[in-house]
Amino acid sequence: MIAQQLFNGLFLGAVYALFAVGYTLVFGVLDILNLAHAAIFTAAAFVALSLALAGMPLPLAFLVAAAVAGIIGILLDRVAFAPLRARNAGTLVPLISSIGVAIIIGAIMRGIYGVDERHFTTGGLETVPAIRLGPVTFTTVELAIFLSAVALMLVLSWVLRSTTLGRRIRAVAEDRIAAALLGVDLERTIAATFFIASSLGGAAGVLTGLEYNSVTLDMGGPIELKGLAVIILGGMGSVTGAVIGGFILGAVETLAVAYGASAWRDAIVFGVMFVLLVARPTGLFGKRALRQA
Amino acid sequence: MNRTTVPVLALLAIAALVAPSGAASKGPAAGKTVHVGVIADVTGGAGIYGTPQKNAYELANDDVKSGKIDAGGANLTFDVADAATDGAQVVNLMQKFTTDGQTVIVLGPTLSGEAFKAFPIAAKANFPVMGTSTTAEGVTAMGSSVYRDALAESQVIPTTVKRTHDKWHYKTAAIIYGDDNAFTKTDYDVFAREFKAAGVDIVDVETFHIKDTDFQAALTRIESKHPDVIAIGGLFPEATKIIQQAGKLGMKTHMVGGNGLNAPDMYSVAGPASQGTVVGAAWFSGAKYSSNLDFVKHYSAKYGKGPDQFAAQSYAAAQIVAYLVAHGATTKDEMSAALKNVRVIQTVLGPIGFDQNRDVKSSPVILSIVKDGFAYFH
Repeated sequence: MIAQQLFNGLFLGAVYALFAVGYTLVFGVLDILNLAHAAIFTAAAFVALSLALAGMPLPLAFLVAAAVAGIIGILLDRVAFAPLRARNAGTLVPLISSIGVAIIIGAIMRGIYGVDERHFTTGGLETVPAIRLGPVTFTTVELAIFLSAVALMLVLSWVLRSTTLGRRIRAVAEDRIAAALLGVDLERTIAATFFIASSLGGAAGVLTGLEYNSVTLDMGGPIELKGLAVIILGGMGSVTGAVIGGFILGAVETLAVAYGASAWRDAIVFGVMFVLLVARPTGLFGKRALRQA
Repeated sequence: MNRTTVPVLALLAIAALVAPSGAASKGPAAGKTVHVGVIADVTGGAGIYGTPQKNAYELANDDVKSGKIDAGGANLTFDVADAATDGAQVVNLMQKFTTDGQTVIVLGPTLSGEAFKAFPIAAKANFPVMGTSTTAEGVTAMGSSVYRDALAESQVIPTTVKRTHDKWHYKTAAIIYGDDNAFTKTDYDVFAREFKAAGVDIVDVETFHIKDTDFQAALTRIESKHPDVIAIGGLFPEATKIIQQAGKLGMKTHMVGGNGLNAPDMYSVAGPASQGTVVGAAWFSGAKYSSNLDFVKHYSAKYGKGPDQFAAQSYAAAQIVAYLVAHGATTKDEMSAALKNVRVIQTVLGPIGFDQNRDVKSSPVILSIVKDGFAYFH
């Protein structure tokens, strides 16, 4: 049973990590909490669903939806954050503004898709081939989701470490004014950050929709709070921390249930987080890890 | 209205209730305007339940106008207000409807938890209200003006357990239920009570929260306890995922559930894993009596998909109210009096009445999920 439970936790953690990476990237660069991240997660799932149902192959629908999420991210920045940034509005006002955009995105989704739960395929998960390895069962979709999530996080890590764009993002995260003085185009770098962060959040949304064969207007709700917990645990702004925090959350959630405490699952999860944060108040990877990513 | 009017009207209502329907088109309600308040979660988290309710009342408004539902010539309208799955809004709407001076009865809200907030307001004002989906225990106990046309889980699950136990002779059971919702918590309470009464040993209990999507950890644990049957205390979104994921994990255990699993898309969403799952419910979409056939046909034509139980119970409430209006209940006090004297009214749920606790009197249907829908469980 424990082998199966560890796999359950691994698949769960991969999606949490992917969602949290985008969340923390924006925080690392701009010091703001983008509470519209979960709305973009949901919007991308609906976009992928529409494309898949229209006949587009799933991998392509996944990539297009992630790109659309990225574009929504750029728009989000132009509408909700850039005007406030220009007026030095601090960090709390953008938070409220991002909640406003989240509500608007939700209302648009409701207008287009209605309130019903939508599904990628009919016929349930059994239509998906399952892989059985000794005591462990998982589907090819779960394997693809896990591999996609890990691949995307590796690509992000490479972009941040080894490309000009990555260096610019890290420079802006380090010191926005100094970066601008050294010739970094601030607004373009921030737009690129929003594109990457929102694409990853959108990818997590599509993968979540695929994993449970379910896309709903409120699917972003539960992961929003968990994503927040993960990035605090990982260390605000730390991409590595968000990845590890995501897997820790997936594992703790699963093991809490595995050991017979399903009624206490969330209390245990947040209890463990609390203990870890008391031991390390800046999170696992400190506050400013993005600049060293 | 003076003190003698109400009993007189009540007597008239009783007399009218035994008259054949349709005879009242020139009755006491002819030409009168009657407003019925409806509180439904059309948006927000419970939008998937409140929307079919709203649809059913819109269909009822059409059917009153066209004469398919006989309201005795009254200008009867069902005024649907969206509570947006917000408890505070439910309370505001209940206050509005019960004090606007024109509403004669309120139907809804959608969720049991909301009913526990809103019905005390109506009960205090002795204002008639009817729950159409609020099936948790204790809802009608909130006051003598609180009715319910939805068969409660406590009325459905005992028969479900008895019928499945008689057929499968199981000795052990596991229960998985949502512990943050009055409806699903009631499922657990009743399943646990009925299993114990049947001598079935409960080997595992797992809980989840509404909107959870991953149940594999809980199901893996349940499987390790080898129960003969798994009872699901959940609503459609969670129940379909539980069944799908159990199928994915290769589990073959019998599954049973209550009203929450009675949704037309059950098979198409949960897939082959759902086949054979037994569902105790208030209504069967495939029931062959003519009022149900008409309802399913017209609803499907109007909305492009078949009605679910939420829609059926709302439409039945509209039929009950229209029937009482047709027989003279055109004010709040007349509606209160008429409800007390309901014997049997024909609805899409079949013939129904109310017991001394103002709960609906009708029989549950025990269904089995089959390819492309439901069939009676034998």
